[in-house]
Amino acid sequence: MVHILGINLPDNHLARFALTKVYGVGQHTAHRLCARLQVHDRCKVRDLSPFQVTSLASFLSSPTSAPPLPRYPLATPDYVSPPLSTSTQELQAEFLAKRKAKKVKNLDPLKNLKIESELRREVRENIAHQRMIGSYVGRRHAMGLPVRGQNTQNNAKTAKKLNKLDRHG
Amino acid sequence: MPPAQLLAVKAKFAVEPPGSLSLPLFEPKALKTSDIVGKAAEFALDKNDPFYVFGLPRKMLLEFRLMTKPTTVVRGVTKESIELLQSAKDKSSLDTRVVFTGRAGCGKSFLLLQAVEHCVAQKWVVIYIPRAVNLVNSTTTHAYDIRTQTYLQPTFSFQTLQRMLTVNDVALRKLTLQTSLQLEKREVPAGTSLAELIEIAINDRSRSVAQAPLILETVMRALEEQTRYPVLFAVDDFQSLYGKSKYRDPHFETIHSYHLSLPRMMLEYASGRRKFNKGAFVGAISCSDTNFPLPIELRDALGLEYDHPMSPYDKRFKPVFDYTEGLKAIKVPEKLSVQEAMSVFEIWKNEQALADVVMRDSEGRVVTNYDEQFLAKYTQSGGNARDFVWGGILANMEA
Repeated sequence: MVHILGINLPDNHLARFALTKVYGVGQHTAHRLCARLQVHDRCKVRDLSPFQVTSLASFLSSPTSAPPLPRYPLATPDYVSPPLSTSTQELQAEFLAKRKAKKVKNLDPLKNLKIESELRREVRENIAHQRMIGSYVGRRHAMGLPVRGQNTQNNAKTAKKLNKLDRHG
Repeated sequence: MPPAQLLAVKAKFAVEPPGSLSLPLFEPKALKTSDIVGKAAEFALDKNDPFYVFGLPRKMLLEFRLMTKPTTVVRGVTKESIELLQSAKDKSSLDTRVVFTGRAGCGKSFLLLQAVEHCVAQKWVVIYIPRAVNLVNSTTTHAYDIRTQTYLQPTFSFQTLQRMLTVNDVALRKLTLQTSLQLEKREVPAGTSLAELIEIAINDRSRSVAQAPLILETVMRALEEQTRYPVLFAVDDFQSLYGKSKYRDPHFETIHSYHLSLPRMMLEYASGRRKFNKGAFVGAISCSDTNFPLPIELRDALGLEYDHPMSPYDKRFKPVFDYTEGLKAIKVPEKLSVQEAMSVFEIWKNEQALADVVMRDSEGRVVTNYDEQFLAKYTQSGGNARDFVWGGILANMEA
């Protein structure tokens, strides 16, 4: 069992779908997270390496403060790799030195990812804002009735049960 | 009818038990005879055969599971391919880079398996990848390597090394490393046999899976340079190596197949950028998987038909096009000949796949309608091998 941010991911689940258990992560975001960690589509949670698990946990704990992803070069068809005597650290240092010289904009959509408590807070704030400005949407949330123009003569059971000012609290 | 009489009737019409057809073995000396074309032969398999160790394409596996003994029909194109491989035995693989082409179900994978089995019998070093699609459909681990600037596939590389060792044990024990190899925790000196090198990797599995791509690369380089054994590199689902894979890089862009280590290695052998001093590269395309269709560059190189009317605006991707250089197509006939189809029918009749339709005519002589069934199935399938077996014989509903 892998625990990430207090959420238990079962071992026998595919990692790409197990990540959707996190509040705020859907299928597309989970796919993006797996790509970021170099996790293939059929990887089960038990096959994740410890490095991948810790990277995932550290990224999800604060996506905004994650460093921008480097764009590593990909070999052209006639690329000849350097000899084995060149260590990986040297090549990495060379790449980072070249990268520092360029100003790279971080266009990663995951940097603005909001999950769990932050996302719930944002939803509550949105509802509170609607109430504060005295809008129809705010009034309907306050009354516990459907917001999006549904019929109330019959049905509206879900809205009556769930719609509150502190919804998803 | 009293039970004793029933048993007597049953005994009279008893069919032979399944798998009791005595067939010649699929071996080089039997294949040299001219009358073997159109006849069935049984694969002579031992436990270290590529058939069991490397595995089979999915659809062929199902067919062989139903058979009592793995059998195959020798076709005209089988003899031609075997003659080609015989002539390739002493030549560089640059001269023999062929791809089996043909419509869906015509027998390309079977022909590739026959080529593999022939080379095993001839003591070649054989590397057989029955499902190359598993390299590109994001089902195996991948990790970026800054030295090769490609995505390595450690698990698949490790499995391939294990399988190569099992199948080619004798040859790999006699071939040695020409230069030493520095691994993470140890150095493997020059003169170590390739089998020992792979055993080092297998015994230290927890550390070796990550280094498996490096060890596989070293073994392949050693096989390229040696001239003692010809090397056959056989790849099924060949067309899947020429498109975009299902993998995504950390920026969520699709990874092209030539940026993955194992597909890149196969493309380099196929295009002649790397070669075995003695040996051949043989591929077989597959029309079954719509996720990995035949790309336009490969159609151009092999002279195949296009799936839509071509216009000057249809793009070709230059790196992929360059990897198709020098490939030759061997067209597998679309239809089984009547003799070949009869041999296939005979195999499945012996496997009791067909209903036991045994009747008596007005004079009390036993008649069967196997000939009617055969002609009906052959006509319905149009001679297509897969339709004849799966849509005809095995889908038989007659009771």
